[in-house]
Amino acid sequence: MFLQTMVTGLGIGSIYALMAMGYCLVFSILNFSNFAHGAMIMLGAYVGFLFCSIIGLSFFWSLILTAIITGILSIINERLAYRTLREKSAPSLYLIITAMGVSIILENLVYSTIGSNFYSYPKIFSRNYIEIFSSTIGLIDIYSFFVSIICIILLHLFLNYSKMGIAIRAGVSDPVAASLMGANFNVLIRNVFFLSGIFAGIAGVFMGFRYMVYPQMGWITNKAYIAAVIGGLGSLPGAIIGGLILGIIETIVSVYISSVVRDVFSFSLLILILLFKPLGLFGVKLEDKM
Amino acid sequence: MFKKIIITVLCLMLFYSFALAQEDTIKIGANVSLTGASSMWGISELNALKMAAEQINQDGGVLGKKIVIIEYDNRANPPEAVIVNQRLIDRDHVAAIIGLAQSGTFIAARTVAEEGKTPQIGTTATNPMATVAEDGKPFKYAFRVCFIDPFQGKIAANFAYNELKAKTASIVYDVGSDYSSWLADYFIENFTALGGKIVNEEAFRSGELDFRAILGKIKASPVDILYVPTMQKEAGLIAKQARDLGITAPFMGGDGVASPDLMTIGGEATEGFYFTNLADLADPLLSEWLEDYRAIYNTDPVLPNPVMAVDALLLVVDAIKRAGTTDGETLASAIENTKNIQVLTTDNFTIDPQTHNPLDKPAVINVVKDGKFEYVMSYSGEN
Repeated sequence: MFLQTMVTGLGIGSIYALMAMGYCLVFSILNFSNFAHGAMIMLGAYVGFLFCSIIGLSFFWSLILTAIITGILSIINERLAYRTLREKSAPSLYLIITAMGVSIILENLVYSTIGSNFYSYPKIFSRNYIEIFSSTIGLIDIYSFFVSIICIILLHLFLNYSKMGIAIRAGVSDPVAASLMGANFNVLIRNVFFLSGIFAGIAGVFMGFRYMVYPQMGWITNKAYIAAVIGGLGSLPGAIIGGLILGIIETIVSVYISSVVRDVFSFSLLILILLFKPLGLFGVKLEDKM
Repeated sequence: MFKKIIITVLCLMLFYSFALAQEDTIKIGANVSLTGASSMWGISELNALKMAAEQINQDGGVLGKKIVIIEYDNRANPPEAVIVNQRLIDRDHVAAIIGLAQSGTFIAARTVAEEGKTPQIGTTATNPMATVAEDGKPFKYAFRVCFIDPFQGKIAANFAYNELKAKTASIVYDVGSDYSSWLADYFIENFTALGGKIVNEEAFRSGELDFRAILGKIKASPVDILYVPTMQKEAGLIAKQARDLGITAPFMGGDGVASPDLMTIGGEATEGFYFTNLADLADPLLSEWLEDYRAIYNTDPVLPNPVMAVDALLLVVDAIKRAGTTDGETLASAIENTKNIQVLTTDNFTIDPQTHNPLDKPAVINVVKDGKFEYVMSYSGEN
């Protein structure tokens, strides 16, 4: 049973990790928490459903196309909702409030256009799970786990070895100096939002496959946000470790104590970690965190 | 300034003449969920109410007046349900309110109906505390037309123990829902009284998506049946995740899962999912009504809410005829003294004055077969 608990915990944690990465990316460069990320994940789940179920594309192409579309949606989101605020150098609190507004608008837009029905992705595997040492692992868990790993490696390579990646990192450490050196800050931000949109799309498709699609599904990103904070907002490895830790702790609490108090534990853990490590486990010093 | 006053006066006059013109109608409020997770039933419920009102009006109306249904959406959310009740009573001055469909929303909105002296007829609010106060006396204005959860839990336990020959059971319920946690208790009480054994009793909080942690625990000690008294969304996900984990026990639920959503969400995993329900489309009493419904709306109603709502409307109409007035207090006593009237689901509908529940309402057992609900058997009210 312990092995099964750990496996389930890792599976849940990998979804948190995937979602937390989108928060991290935006936070690391703009220093604000993009609460519209949950709504982007929800849109990703709907777009993926469109490709996979209605148009009938394969899992692989649905994932790729959804990622590109949510990437573009994320750029539009930044252009319409955040850029003006940013150019007027509004405090990041206002950006956060705007992000919450965007998330409510998107959720209600889906309610009013698509409706509140539940949708379920088609079955892609002939078997949904495999057995290892008498514990069962969902195939979708294995997929999401490896996709998270691949994403993080690609992101790492991009940030460290491409010109744009280096420019983004320069922008993270000092936006003004980076601009003076000729990096176009607006382009940097556009690319960061594109990347975070890609992660939202991937997370959305996996969420849809594992559970279902409905307008309020974005709420689960609250957990991903906690994961990002535990790991240290703005730190990508932190987001992954934080997600996995949260998934495992939640599962252990559910199995050995009670699932009713599960959230009490995960939120207490958040407070506890912040008491001892105010920047999270892998946090980097930034001026203000919200 | 003068202009503004004129406009205001004109508006008021217009409003008044409108109100006067409406005097030859009897307004019945419908507190239904038209959006959100319960909208499937709510929309069917409203359709059925409008159809029934139309029929009553064609037959000459009530006390020479026409019935008008006034509906507002409550999203199955208790605070919204309270606001809808306030609006129906204070602004629309309805004679009675039909709804609510959930025990939690009914209990929340009940106070408003009591204060506004307006009878409220719950359609599928099955929790015993919905109509009866802690001291055992019924609330004056709270009624319902459905059976109550102790009965539903008892039938589920009986069916599981006697028909499915289950000797051990585990339960997964929603601790954030009155309906779910009480129904779990009634099942446990009756199942253990019959000689069955409850192995695991696991709870989750409303809105949960991932049940694999608790299902992993349930898998470790296999049982004959898994009782899931939740709503359709959770039941569908639980079925899917349980089968993925390799749990093979059959599932059983309450009337909360009776929506095609169950199969949409759970897919193949819901095959053989048993549940207790208030009504079934296969019931011969409903055949004529069902034909009419299909003819008007081109779709099947999502049971049981629409037939319960029609029962509620017929109950109110009968009481208004007997009372000869729509005055709330007189109407409430007339409803309380309803005996042996004909409604949609039974020819012999009686309200118990002690509890404001219907006496001897039948129940059915349904099962999911080939992606559709199938009728298994009926339990009469005395069981």
